[in-house]
Amino acid sequence: MKKNTTSYKVKQYLMFAGPATILFCAVVILPFVYGLYLTFTSWDGISTTKPFVGISNYIAAFQDTAYWQAMGRTVIYSVISVILVNIVAFLLAYMVTSGIKGQNFFRAGFFVPNLIGGIVLGYVWKFVFNRALVAIGQSLSIGALSTSWLATTSGAMFCLILVSVWQYAGYMMLIYVAGFMSVSKSLMEAAQIDGCTQSQATINVTIPLMRSSFVQCLFLTITRCFMVYDVNLSLTKGEPFNSSVMAAMHVYNQAFTYKNYGTGQAEALILFVVCAIVGVTQVYIGKKGEVAA
Amino acid sequence: MTDNAKAARKKKISHAIMMVILIIAFIAFVFPFILVVINVFKTKGDINSAPLSLIGSHGFTLENFPNAIKKMNFWNSFKNSLIVTICSTVFTLLFASMAAFVIVRNKWKACALLFSGMIASMVIPFQVLMVPLVSLYGGIFQVLNSRVTLILMHIGFSLSMATFMFHGAIVTNIPLELEEAALIDGCSRWKTFWSVVFPLLKPTIATVAVIDAMAFWNDYLLPSLVLKRKELYTIPIATQIFYGSYSTDIGLILAALLLAMLPILILYIFLQRYIIEGVTSGAVKG
Amino acid sequence: MKKSVSFVMAALMAASLATTGSMTVLADGDVSITVFNSKMEIQTQLEEAAAEYSEETGVNVEVYYSSDTVTAHMATRYASNDPYTLSMVDAKDIYSLAEEHAVDLSDQDWVKDTTQAISIGDKVYGFPVCIEARGIIYNADAIKNITGEDFDPSKYQTLDSFKELLDQLVAGGMESPTGIMKEDWSLAAHYLGEVFEEQDDTDAYLAALQAGEGDLINNEKFNSLMDTFDVLMEYNYAKDSAIAAEREVTEQKLAEGEIAFMFGGNWDWAVINAYDYTENMGMMPVPQNTDDGTNTKLVGGGSKFFFIDNSDVTTDEQRQAAKDFLNWLVYDEAGQDLIVNKCALVPAYSNITLPVADPLGASVKEFTDADMLIPNYNYMPDDEYSILGASMQKYLAGQIDRAGFAGEIEDYWKTATLVEH
Repeated sequence: MKKNTTSYKVKQYLMFAGPATILFCAVVILPFVYGLYLTFTSWDGISTTKPFVGISNYIAAFQDTAYWQAMGRTVIYSVISVILVNIVAFLLAYMVTSGIKGQNFFRAGFFVPNLIGGIVLGYVWKFVFNRALVAIGQSLSIGALSTSWLATTSGAMFCLILVSVWQYAGYMMLIYVAGFMSVSKSLMEAAQIDGCTQSQATINVTIPLMRSSFVQCLFLTITRCFMVYDVNLSLTKGEPFNSSVMAAMHVYNQAFTYKNYGTGQAEALILFVVCAIVGVTQVYIGKKGEVAA
Repeated sequence: MTDNAKAARKKKISHAIMMVILIIAFIAFVFPFILVVINVFKTKGDINSAPLSLIGSHGFTLENFPNAIKKMNFWNSFKNSLIVTICSTVFTLLFASMAAFVIVRNKWKACALLFSGMIASMVIPFQVLMVPLVSLYGGIFQVLNSRVTLILMHIGFSLSMATFMFHGAIVTNIPLELEEAALIDGCSRWKTFWSVVFPLLKPTIATVAVIDAMAFWNDYLLPSLVLKRKELYTIPIATQIFYGSYSTDIGLILAALLLAMLPILILYIFLQRYIIEGVTSGAVKG
Repeated sequence: MKKSVSFVMAALMAASLATTGSMTVLADGDVSITVFNSKMEIQTQLEEAAAEYSEETGVNVEVYYSSDTVTAHMATRYASNDPYTLSMVDAKDIYSLAEEHAVDLSDQDWVKDTTQAISIGDKVYGFPVCIEARGIIYNADAIKNITGEDFDPSKYQTLDSFKELLDQLVAGGMESPTGIMKEDWSLAAHYLGEVFEEQDDTDAYLAALQAGEGDLINNEKFNSLMDTFDVLMEYNYAKDSAIAAEREVTEQKLAEGEIAFMFGGNWDWAVINAYDYTENMGMMPVPQNTDDGTNTKLVGGGSKFFFIDNSDVTTDEQRQAAKDFLNWLVYDEAGQDLIVNKCALVPAYSNITLPVADPLGASVKEFTDADMLIPNYNYMPDDEYSILGASMQKYLAGQIDRAGFAGEIEDYWKTATLVEH
């Protein structure tokens, strides 16, 4: 078998990546291209005519101050959430792979938040913030708890971040756990024989070898945070005073509630470009120095 | 000897500290669930007025469960969810691991193109694709309202992330020498993949399986666009009857939540064993 | 290898399972229609009635509900070329959808029996499902417990008298007798909406606002209604965190008499009746110190409208079946029973004489029959409730004063466009 002929390559490619390529193109690329076309129309989302309007939707998007405010808010929210999620997840993963008693039990426990979908999760937490914490605050007369955090601008943002950390930390922990476990014990032992303490060994041996876990987790948290929608909708619904409307929610409202489908779609594409630049840069930097096995 | 004893003591102390932190974190993580469990046995009025009390003034009630089961046609939705989740997960695992393998091991242009396309697609907000997707597959191809369509779409959307994760795992954890050895023994690439690489990917398979299965099980938006006939409803679409745009029936939501959560919890507990086992048995290289 | 083979086998088996039983095939001659319901609280009742209707008439009726917004849901259904035969939408949607997607219903019998149908030009497109109105909901028992007298809402039409009563309630031990829903639709679409709806000429006034000449801060209706709102805020049980008040909690307090008044509409009954409510409740006009008569009327009218799809996907038989279903709702005893008793709605048809089932609806019916309803203004821009709702939440939270609020409203209208009508 010759390995350099084109037919061999095509055969190999189709054999392994054929189904993935077809499905990916059919489900993601095709609709995406069609969606791109729709941003050049003034379609209202439901009418049968889709008048072509050139780039006026993009101009409208750039002039939409509410959108850029939402975008700014999303950046702040994402930066804080991404950092916190990864710190918490990494520490949890470190602790539950340290051979501590009941580590499997803890692993299962930390992952539990992911068993509920985003919408339900928001409702449950809203219940916690608005009722449970307030009830605790009032019965123990703790001032900070006796009114709902969701009632203030910064409080609502804080709640969103808190819920995101709670939601994603367990998920990312799972990836970090897989990373920790794939670094073989003998490497660690070798390092310790060489005179490293356990924490030194972790910093000098384990963490560099876990680079791909870091890349994955950062990428996943960044993209998820930038596109947060479900929790935003069910936890704060943008309240109070539309001060917690994130970019994706604004896009949805623009397209469907305010019936400016084209503008909403254009704004969503801008969001996509922003996410893509941030996410891909991060992966590129991360993968560049990846240590191969 | 003293050094060893010292180290052992140090370890003991650090474990004790970790234990305390873990227990506190654990309580924080399950607190909302404790609330769910406490409140699901109360009437709507009691949930509002006394969310923290163990038993409401109207007493202990089980009625939220049969009500929720009836309203959401639970068993039928459960069956649909199960079929969709299992099929989507299995095929996602197969297709993504295969694609990741060919992408990692070959420096072909097509591979690079596919992989960067996939990475970029992970940041497409779903709202961008929603209407075009239904316009194409409903308006033009007329293939909506079928489980197969939903499954294929689920696979299509989740392939990117799964491939991304397998990609990382193959790069870092699969020793090239093992494959080369198999090739020298006369195995084809195809056979090498299935007999050498795939088994070594176990921890990642388990991780991706859990993550994707959960995403499929809980997904609302896509199934709501694809499945429009009641007999095809999955659990998340069936529960939307509890969410009004103006009010929500919290008791029923909590009951539905618990009912929907159980199977996925069982799956997780089951697969968790594999995540650990897979790694230890897969560690060929030291 | 063996393992992976069995894995693939399992996958194939699962896939074959997935293809089975995906569609039920209807026998020849059977007509089947789909109905979209956007009123969550009546979904169960509609489903049950549809099942009975199917059995009786042989026409298979399936009722669907979605928790998405009506517009988004309609958009995806039309995009996928799979519309419902009969869709229940809001008045606004009729104006934006009907000309392109709806069937003309002007030849239907029920048109003469209602004043609430929506027509565009000379065509009737929207079948009104019910009448809904806004005002202050009161709990008469809670008031009587303190004052010792039967509550007569007609005595409290002015803000001064209303405030006296509130003071009396406070003195009698009800710490904070009112509740305010902080939801943007309640604040902006419903309460602030009355500011526009109660103008002498709403269209003219909104045109003035759009031209930047509304002078809202000196507008009589604005000030009169905001004076009342200030009083509601002052006695609000959730005064300290007014914008975290949950609707369910507020309604429970009202139902159980912990508070006596809340601004809302007869649809709130669907929430109230889940608690330990009293039948002695009702609705009264928003009290105002005014003599223009608006403080003797509720604001409201037809609400939720059915339209029939006109696309090729729907057959003429299905359209006929949908028309029959609408007629059944208006003229058949079972249909009337469904609307009035089972769903507890206020009928929009003069031929339906059944007594309304719930006390809030009874109030609305009374005002409707006495012709004491100020009509809804159905042409508000789509983003009005959201943007002005945010402004009004700021006002409710004490973050802006009345002048600031008026300023934000005026700014909004300068760029806003009304729904074409």
